[in-house]
Order: sequence, then C-alpha cells, then structure tokens
Amino acid sequence: MAVKVHIHTTHRQFTNGSEVVAVQGNTVGECLNHLIKEFPGMEKALFAKRDKLLNNVEVYLNHASAYPNELVKPVEDGDEIHLVVMLTGG
Amino acid sequence: MLTPSERERYDRQIMIGEIGQEGQVKLKRSRVVIAGAGGLGSPVAIYLTAAGIGTIRVIDHDHVALSNLNRQILHSEEDVGRKKVDSARAKLRNLNSTVDIQAVAETITEENVSGLVDGCDAIVDAMDNLPTRYILNRCAIEKNIPFFHGAVNGFEGRVMTVLPGKTACLRCMYRGLVPQEKFPVIGVAPAVIGSIQATEVIKYLVGIGKLLTNRLLVYDGLKVTFSEFKLTQNPNCDHCGSLAGKG
Repeated sequence: MAVKVHIHTTHRQFTNGSEVVAVQGNTVGECLNHLIKEFPGMEKALFAKRDKLLNNVEVYLNHASAYPNELVKPVEDGDEIHLVVMLTGG
Repeated sequence: MLTPSERERYDRQIMIGEIGQEGQVKLKRSRVVIAGAGGLGSPVAIYLTAAGIGTIRVIDHDHVALSNLNRQILHSEEDVGRKKVDSARAKLRNLNSTVDIQAVAETITEENVSGLVDGCDAIVDAMDNLPTRYILNRCAIEKNIPFFHGAVNGFEGRVMTVLPGKTACLRCMYRGLVPQEKFPVIGVAPAVIGSIQATEVIKYLVGIGKLLTNRLLVYDGLKVTFSEFKLTQNPNCDHCGSLAGKG
C-alpha cells in the first residue's frame, strides 16, 4: 500500500530535504509511523505525545481536511497525505 | 450614483463586465473593517482604498517600528514611532480622498470587538496572532459578517473566506492553542496573500465570482505553487457549530 506524504517546507530539514516520501500503511497514523521510522526527526515535528498531533499541524488526505481523528482515517493505495503547518503571522 | 470624477477614477475596473457601474456603486456603499495595519493589512488597505470601498476602518494598537518596513508598505521611515493607524490613514487618504478612512488605535479584545466591527459588511483578518484572529472569527459569526482570513510565514501564506453559518470557519479545525512566536517573513509573501484577501472582499461585495469558501488556499513562494485543500464545516465547532447547516 504505497501512500505519498508531502512534507511541509519547515519539516524538510528532518527528511534530508525530501519533499515527498512514499510510505506504507492502512491509516494516516500508520503512514506517519512509517514516515517517522524512516525519518525519526519527524516525530518531534508532528507529535506532542504518542497519537497526539501538535496543535499547529494540519493533515490533509487527498486534498481534503482529515480533521478530526486524523490518525485513524483509512488510506488506500495511491492516496496522498499533505502535512501542513498552521500559519499565524501577518 | 457615481460622480463624473468617480467614473473617471474607476474607469478601468468599471470596464470589467462583472463589475460595471452597478458593482462600483456597491463598493462605494460598502464598509470594511481591516484588523491589522501590518504586513497583510497594508496591501489589503491599499487595494481596497484604490478600488473605492466607501468606508474602511483600520484597527491596530501598535506603533511603526523600523523592523516593520521590510513588509508593511503602508509605512515609511518617517513614520517610525507613529501610530500605525495614523500612518495608514495618511497614506490611504493620499491615495484616494473619497474613501472614508477611519483609524482606530485600539487593541481588539473580547469586550470591545463587537463595537469595533459594528455596521461593517466585511471583516478582514490581517492580524499577527491567533488569539485575536479567533476573537474576530467568533464575532464575525455571531454578527453574521463575512470574514476574510489570511496568514503568512516566511515565503508562505494561506487564505480562506468564511460565510458565517454557511461555510467552515477558522475555528472548525481547532485542536488547541498554538505557541505565539516571532515569525519570519519577507514582504512579498503578505503582498500576495493580502492581495488575494482584497480580491475576495471585492468579489463578495460586488457579488461575483467563486469565493474561497470551504477551501484553504496555501501559497508557497519558494516554489511558486498554490495548493488548495477542501474544508468542511464542523458541526461541533465551538464558534460556528450551532449554526452548521442553517445557512
């Protein structure tokens, strides 16, 4: 089950500069766990604690908001996950 | 009605079929609140003033600092230390003296927000912090005033438009407070995002086009890409949930 995860600009320092990472999993959460196995630095960038995303991290599945309960959302082969950081500056 | 001078001033936009004289009159009769006279508020205010909005109320409690000038194009070196709203009013009146520019040097709070936006047709969120954005979002929903959100960081920005009770609001994906930090930004990012916010306001007031409702537009200036994400109104949202589906 190949799923593409699009990495936010500010997180690419943790993925060796990769903008898109192919992962495996049946849910968004499993995909993110796979991502973290490959790039451990992403854990701190995404999670406040286990299974609790940081408040400023937004997850979009196939260009639609996965909120709420993002991590349990099922994914299919070919799906795309975008990890986006909320902006507050003006 | 438009005066001969107004017809001349706005000739190029009146030529746009979707606007015409009728649309220009709608803009003239409109009142817009711009919350923030900084990076986003600058292009928003300049383009809405140039477009001939009847009344623009600019709200900002801050004073101009030298470090603002890389992006806050309403202000100049001579304005450093001056109230931002005074600097903004002077520039905007110089640009278009027919627009009623109201300068309000106040901090937006839960207590005063309703009075600050009273009577307006649109609220532009050009703030630099999330708590005040949420105060405005809630007030916009309670008073049924369309809300035009924009935010930036670095070369990136985002925009969305909220029609209270009808579309997803800024709070619909809320998970908790986000730490307030000094944010990096280059002026061209709020220039792009503020211009889109102003475009949305004009479209809404004239009643044309397709608004950025239930859609989040994310701009990446480094790659020059726009990504669009679908949003859904949250029936449990603590700001707009009680209105969900009643629009």
